[in-house]
Amino acid sequence: MDKRTDVWQGTLALMVLKTLATMGPLHGYGIARRIEQTSGDRILINYGTLYPSLVKLEQEGCIAGEWGVSENNRKARFYRITRAGHAQLRKEARQWEETSDIIARFFSPGQEVS
Amino acid sequence: MRRITAWFKRLGGWWGREGRERALQDELAANIQMNVDDNLRAGMSLAEARRQAALKFGSVDSAKEAVRSQWTLGGLEVTRQDIVYALRGFRRNPGFALTAVISLALGIAASVAIFTVADSVLLRPLPYRDPGRLVMVWETNPHRVGAIHNVISPGNFQDWRAQSHAFEHMALFTYGRLVLSDGRRAEEFTSEFVSPGLPAMLGVHPWRGRLFSGANPLPQRPDEVLISYRLWQSWFGGDESVLGRKIQLSNEPATVIGILPPGFYFKNREADLWESFDLDPARNYRATSGRYLLSVARLKPGITLAQAQAEMSVIARGLEAVDPAFDKGWGVNLEPLRDSMVRDVRQPLLVLLGAALFVLAVACANVANLLLARHGSRRREMAVRAAIGAGWWRIARQLLTESLLLGLSGGLAGVLLANWLVSGLMKLAPQDLARNASVTLDLRVLCFAVALSLVSSVSFGLLPAWIAARRDALGGLREDGRGAIGRLRAGRRWLVAAEVAVSVMLLAGAGLMLRSLTGLLNVDPGLNADRVLTARVTLPRAQYRESAARLQFFARALQDLRALPGVQSAAAIDFLPFYGLAAGTGVTIGGRPPARPGETLGTVVRTVSPGYFHTMGIPLKGGRDFSEFDSTPNSPCRFVVNESFARKYLSGEQVLGKTISVDMADKNPFGEIIGIAGDVREGSVDREPEATVYYPHSLYMPRSEMNLLVRTAGNPMLLVEPVRRVIHEIDPAQPVADFAPMETIVRETFSRQKFSAVLLAGFSLVSLLLAAVGIYGVLAYSVTERTREFGVRMALGAEPSRIVALVLAGGARMLLAGTVAGIAGALALTSFLRTLLFGIGTHDPVTFIAVPLVLAAVGMIAAWLPAHRASRLPAVEALRAE
Repeated sequence: MDKRTDVWQGTLALMVLKTLATMGPLHGYGIARRIEQTSGDRILINYGTLYPSLVKLEQEGCIAGEWGVSENNRKARFYRITRAGHAQLRKEARQWEETSDIIARFFSPGQEVS
Repeated sequence: MRRITAWFKRLGGWWGREGRERALQDELAANIQMNVDDNLRAGMSLAEARRQAALKFGSVDSAKEAVRSQWTLGGLEVTRQDIVYALRGFRRNPGFALTAVISLALGIAASVAIFTVADSVLLRPLPYRDPGRLVMVWETNPHRVGAIHNVISPGNFQDWRAQSHAFEHMALFTYGRLVLSDGRRAEEFTSEFVSPGLPAMLGVHPWRGRLFSGANPLPQRPDEVLISYRLWQSWFGGDESVLGRKIQLSNEPATVIGILPPGFYFKNREADLWESFDLDPARNYRATSGRYLLSVARLKPGITLAQAQAEMSVIARGLEAVDPAFDKGWGVNLEPLRDSMVRDVRQPLLVLLGAALFVLAVACANVANLLLARHGSRRREMAVRAAIGAGWWRIARQLLTESLLLGLSGGLAGVLLANWLVSGLMKLAPQDLARNASVTLDLRVLCFAVALSLVSSVSFGLLPAWIAARRDALGGLREDGRGAIGRLRAGRRWLVAAEVAVSVMLLAGAGLMLRSLTGLLNVDPGLNADRVLTARVTLPRAQYRESAARLQFFARALQDLRALPGVQSAAAIDFLPFYGLAAGTGVTIGGRPPARPGETLGTVVRTVSPGYFHTMGIPLKGGRDFSEFDSTPNSPCRFVVNESFARKYLSGEQVLGKTISVDMADKNPFGEIIGIAGDVREGSVDREPEATVYYPHSLYMPRSEMNLLVRTAGNPMLLVEPVRRVIHEIDPAQPVADFAPMETIVRETFSRQKFSAVLLAGFSLVSLLLAAVGIYGVLAYSVTERTREFGVRMALGAEPSRIVALVLAGGARMLLAGTVAGIAGALALTSFLRTLLFGIGTHDPVTFIAVPLVLAAVGMIAAWLPAHRASRLPAVEALRAE
């Protein structure tokens, strides 16, 4: 996948939740496109990873899926974020910020780690 | 929390698969279509739009697979697949699955059935407090044949109790029968007379009421009685007010003081009534009575059996010095209570348990063999699975799942079969086994069965799995994975040889048992038991206190019985021959000086009515039978002895007319021997007949319990009601018990040998059949495998007979190796059968020649079938084969 980055499951779940929180209900294809666009096409979403992740989030009650009709009149399954999903998103976002903050300190120039 | 609900959702994912599968398909299709739409909008051609969408999406199948594994728990899903796949395989090849399950069911049923019996007889603890410390106390006189477990003298017991320190408590007991009557009903029940402390010593707690108080030390019977739960339920209808009730026991009043718990038994499961008795400390029992009681004692904590035995032996030696006339030569023998109850059945049961496990081993080998064969034909399939990415563990799992499924279904079928077998087994079982055991399948046995089927299925499933693991997965994809096939085939041949070896051992055991059984059946028992009905009458002592009354009762009964239509003759005897119980005492020959202490001549004594020898079909070898004139209270003292008596004690002398005196009472007059009766194999047919003196019922104290014998023209059981009516007419309150044809009683003697012989024969047949299936399976498979080779041979001019010989030789090699190993094993193992054999040695040549012949015949038939098929292959077709 040359320059494009693979994403791992936990991060993907966070991206899905964030996408749904921002965009409202979306179908799987829409979620994938949106994430790819947001990443500036640096991430390639593998459906073999996305769908299990959706199923898992649904089983955990973070998102809910139902059948609907897409903008160009296609029957598709739309996912929306639930209240539990919002809570989960806040928690995960906080954790992520903390983690990236720590990692960032390691790599910021001129700082020694003792 | 969220994780847990998700876990349960995934667990629930087992169900509703089809609907979800359709939804997934729709969702993915919709997404791809949306991608295509986008691409079209971007100006691509339809074909290009589809191509790009497909590229973008990647493998639909692997996406589906990833989602599926998220639906349910991973292991569960794989297990489900394994099971579904295994079942599908079994359905496609039902012959294989059926053979495997039946093999296992047979093996497991045999082991479970025998284990059930062995468990309840040998393993389950006796239902008493600390049963390991309970011992039987016997007298022993090694100089007398078989007197290692002799009944004991009350006098000696008193001295033991006074002098020993090894026991917490020593108790006495004896068996008897009591007639329970309430004016309307009268029935005889088996009873035990026990010293008052015995139930408490066993540690039994009464279900209702109390045990014997022991406060009454008199030898007279206190009028207290304990009843069994069973009797309480049946006779008294579970009435709570039975406690304290006065009942009539053999025409004497007794008070019910307690009910023993359900299932309680001591030595005899048939006992329903317990009365207490005690010894009179003032009486000198050694001077007035013989040995007739039984004793059980509880060892003090910390005292071993050996220590107690040592102490008792010292006491016994002391008594020999105190009363040499009575005790010279007599010692004491302690035996753990459990041993005393299973003495004769332990060995056969252990042998049978071993044999059953052998059958199971053969069954497992057979299933492993089948699995290997199946595996051989599935090499390609396994290799394909490996090639498209199944790991080693995945394939091994599949194989293990299959064998576990087989094992568990075999186990289930086996337990059902065993349940049915056990009831049949107990019908066949010897009395001492049936009497002591309540044999039922219980949880322990079920656990045993499940463990057995798991262990056997995993062990035989591991073998193919192991072979699968060791093989280069790609090897199976090549047309001829010769190396692997060779290894499989060798493995299967070893398995079959092992099956043959075990079958030889089982056959040898069964052969020995059957030979000794036929030997036993051919022994002349010394009497003619055909068409003789027996029944027992126990007169209540209270009512028949006078000797004359007892004599009169039986004389009249016999007279009336003889008048019944269809009755050829009738007689009575105290203990039936073959019943296993008889009185023994000392005897003095007239004209000889009195014997020194310890050297008195021993003899069995039996009291009979006139006509006994005729009725029982015992030939008189000299002299005459007792007549009515010998059997009145005023008749002169006269005896009939058996041949053994004459041979042992009067060898070379004129027997008839000789006088003897039998130690029966205080005064024992000398009386003339008027007849010599043929020997009856009293105890059991595999023992030497014992010296026996017969005396008329009128002599000494006429017994109140006699067995009636009626010889009939037809079926003896048709006379049950007429006999009952005859007794009823004499005394309406007098019950008659234990109607049985004499033939049944004689046959019961063989039941121990028969039990073992029939079971071993059954086991060996099953094993033989399994081995034959194994031989057939291996050869049939190798014929299929070598079809092309045979084709080439035939094309080059080989005769069909040459092909047959080729295949047969393969079978013969397995047979030969197995038989040699089996015979060696059998020669070593049959020594365990020594005590069960009669008239032949453990290395009986006939058996050891016949067994290999039988095996060879069966084995070669099994080998001939595929051989014949191989020789019939049309050469052209054979050449064309794969």
